Amino acid sequence: MTETRSRKAAAGSIQVVEADIAIVGGGVAGCLAAVGAAEIGAKVAILEKGGIIERSGSIAAGVDHYIAVLDEGEEWDKPGYLLRHVPVVTQGVTDLPAAARLIYGLPGMVKRLEDMGVDFHDPDKPGIPYYRHRAFGLPGEYYINFDGRHFKHSIGRAARKTGAKVFERVMVSEVLMDNGRPKGVVAFNIRTGAVFFVLAPTVILAAGDANRIGENASGFPFDSWHIPYNTGDGHGMALRVGAQLANMEFTDSTVSPKGYSTQGLNAFVGAGAHFINVNGERFMFKYDPKGERASRAALVNGVVGETLAGRGPIYCDCTHLSEEEAQHLVRTLGVDRPALPDYFAQKKINLSKEPFEVTVGEIATVRAGALFRGSGVHVDADAASSVPGIYAAGDCSSMNAAVAGAAVMGHVAGQSAARFAQNQPRPEALSKDEIERIHEDMVRPLHQEEGITFRQFEDEVRHIVTHYIGYRREEKYLQEGLHRLQLLREREKEMIAENYHGLMRVNEARNIRAVAEALATSAIERKETRASAAHFRVDFPDTDDENGRRIIMVEQGAEGKLRVSSRQTGLQVDVLPEVPPEILAQEEEAV
Amino acid sequence: MTVIPVVIDENICVEKCTICDVFCPGDIIYRLEKDKPPVVMYPDECWYCGACALHCPVDAISIIFPPEMLDCQTTVASLLEKPEL
Repeated sequence: MTETRSRKAAAGSIQVVEADIAIVGGGVAGCLAAVGAAEIGAKVAILEKGGIIERSGSIAAGVDHYIAVLDEGEEWDKPGYLLRHVPVVTQGVTDLPAAARLIYGLPGMVKRLEDMGVDFHDPDKPGIPYYRHRAFGLPGEYYINFDGRHFKHSIGRAARKTGAKVFERVMVSEVLMDNGRPKGVVAFNIRTGAVFFVLAPTVILAAGDANRIGENASGFPFDSWHIPYNTGDGHGMALRVGAQLANMEFTDSTVSPKGYSTQGLNAFVGAGAHFINVNGERFMFKYDPKGERASRAALVNGVVGETLAGRGPIYCDCTHLSEEEAQHLVRTLGVDRPALPDYFAQKKINLSKEPFEVTVGEIATVRAGALFRGSGVHVDADAASSVPGIYAAGDCSSMNAAVAGAAVMGHVAGQSAARFAQNQPRPEALSKDEIERIHEDMVRPLHQEEGITFRQFEDEVRHIVTHYIGYRREEKYLQEGLHRLQLLREREKEMIAENYHGLMRVNEARNIRAVAEALATSAIERKETRASAAHFRVDFPDTDDENGRRIIMVEQGAEGKLRVSSRQTGLQVDVLPEVPPEILAQEEEAV
Repeated sequence: MTVIPVVIDENICVEKCTICDVFCPGDIIYRLEKDKPPVVMYPDECWYCGACALHCPVDAISIIFPPEMLDCQTTVASLLEKPEL
C-alpha cells in the first residue's frame, strides 16, 4: 500500500481574521446560524468547503418536502401535540427538552423562511395555501410539499446579506482550543492553499452527516445515497476537542436500484411499487404490517432478511402501474436526484413492463433511524455541546429533523453562540511560532514522499464498517472491527496528498474513520435491537425497553481512545406523556 | 479504465461561464482557462448527482453512467458477508 508521488505544495498566503463566531459549514444549519447570530449583533465567519453558499450542502440541488407545525386549527397541528409523540417516534431515545426547542421553533421558522423568499406553495395545487401530507410515521400531516429547487439559494443569500464574512472552497481542518475553550478554527482553500485562521471565542459545527463509511454494490465509494462530500467533519472535530457524540450506534441506509445509490425510495413506494423476492413473493408484510409503506429502516431490514434467507435477488416491481403512471414516476424522480431519470433511460428499462433489481445501500450516519434524534455531536436545548463555547446544529448534531430541524436548531445555535460570545474575553492573538506549527501540521500530507492514499485508507474503513459492523451486528465481529479501526488510527499520518483538493480528502478520510470508531464503540454498548435495521443485533434480537431507553455517548479520552457513557431518558413509549410544565413555560415565552 | 461520468460538449459550452465548476458539490469540475471547456478533474469522485447538467445554461453536459452502475454484477449477499475470525 505504499507509493511515491511528486507533489506540488505551493506555499499559500496566511490570513488571520477575528470574529465572534466561526461557523463550520454553510448548509442550511450554518446559514440559519449566521442569521440568528446577526440578529443579536454578532460578527460571524462562515467557512464552507463547497463552491458557493447559495448552492452548497445536502440540498444544494433542491428539496421537495419540509416538516412544519403551523397551528392552522387541527389538533395535531400544535407543537405540544407533536412533542407528546416524540418519545414514540424515537422509541424513547432522545432528549425531550432539545426536541421541544426544535418543535416549538417550527411555526416561526416557516414565516422566517418565507420572509427570505422561500415559496412553500405547491405549484400543482394552486388552490390551497400549503399542500400538506402525512409521512415517516409522524402523527399528522406535517409535511409540506413544495418546489424547493431554489430553497438553498434563498437562505444562502439571506446569510450573505447579514454581512457575515463568507469563505468558500475553504475547509476547516481543526478547531483551535485554549484551556478547554475554543479560540477559533484553522482552514485552507481547497484549490489555492490559502490559509485562514479565524479567531473566535465560539464555534458552531454545522458540517452535516457522514457518508462514504460503507461499501455499496457499484464499488464506487462516491456513489452514495446522501451527499458523499459530507464526511463527518463536525463529528471528527468535536471528538478531537473532547466533545461528546450521541446515538452513534444508529445508522441509516436505503433501498436503491442495484448499482446506483440514490434518493427516490419514497417516490417508488408512494407510487405504489412492490418489492418482490426471487420467487415473485411480496415479502414486506412478513417484516412489517405496513408492507412497503413501512419505515425506511424496516424496508432495509426486509431486503437484508430476504437476501440472507437465500431468497434474493430482490426486485422493485412497478409492472402493475400503467405506462403513463410509470413515466410520471420517472420524471418526478429528477426532483430528488437530477440524474435519476437519465439513469433509467440509459439502463433501457421500461418500469411498466419489467421489475428491476434493488439492493440495500451503503451504511451511513445520516440520521439515527428516526426524526428528532441524530447521530452526532450531543447538544442540549440551546444547541450547546458538552464543551463550553462549542455549538452544533443540523445533521452533525444529536437533535435533527431534516431541513426543518437544521433550520430551527441552526438559528438556535447562532443565537446561543452570540449570547455566549458577548461575555467572553477575545482569544489571544496567535504567535508567529503557533501559526507556523499549526500550518505545518495541517499541510504535512502534502510534503510526505511516501505513504497511502486517502482512498486506500477509506477502503479499509468501509470494509470494516460493512462486514464487521454491518446491517446485522454481533459482539465478536464488533469487537474485532473496533480493534481494526483503532489500529487504523495509527495509519492516519501515513496519508499523502498531491494538492489541496487531495488534502481535503485526507482530512475527510480521518473524520470518516473517527465516525466509524464511534459507531463501533456505541454499537457494542447497545446490547439490544432497536429501530429495526438502524441497530440490529443478532445476539440480542429483542428490544429491551427496560434498559434500552438510554442515550449512549462517546468522547475521546487519553491517548485518543473513545470512552463510552450512557444516560437513561426516562421516556415512556407506551403512553403519551404530558409536556413538562417547565418546557411549556420556556417555550411559550420563546413563541 | 477510467470512467468519465460528466461529458461536456465542446461545441456547445459557452466561453467564460463557470456554473458547472462552481455548482459541483464535490470540486470535481474545473474551468482552468476561459477559452477552453471545463475539465473533469476527479472523475472517480463524482456523486452522479447531475447538478452540473441541470444548471448548464446551454445543455452542454451529459451524465454517462458506467457499466458498473447500469449493469451491476455485484451480488447483494456479498455486501452482507461476515469475515472469518
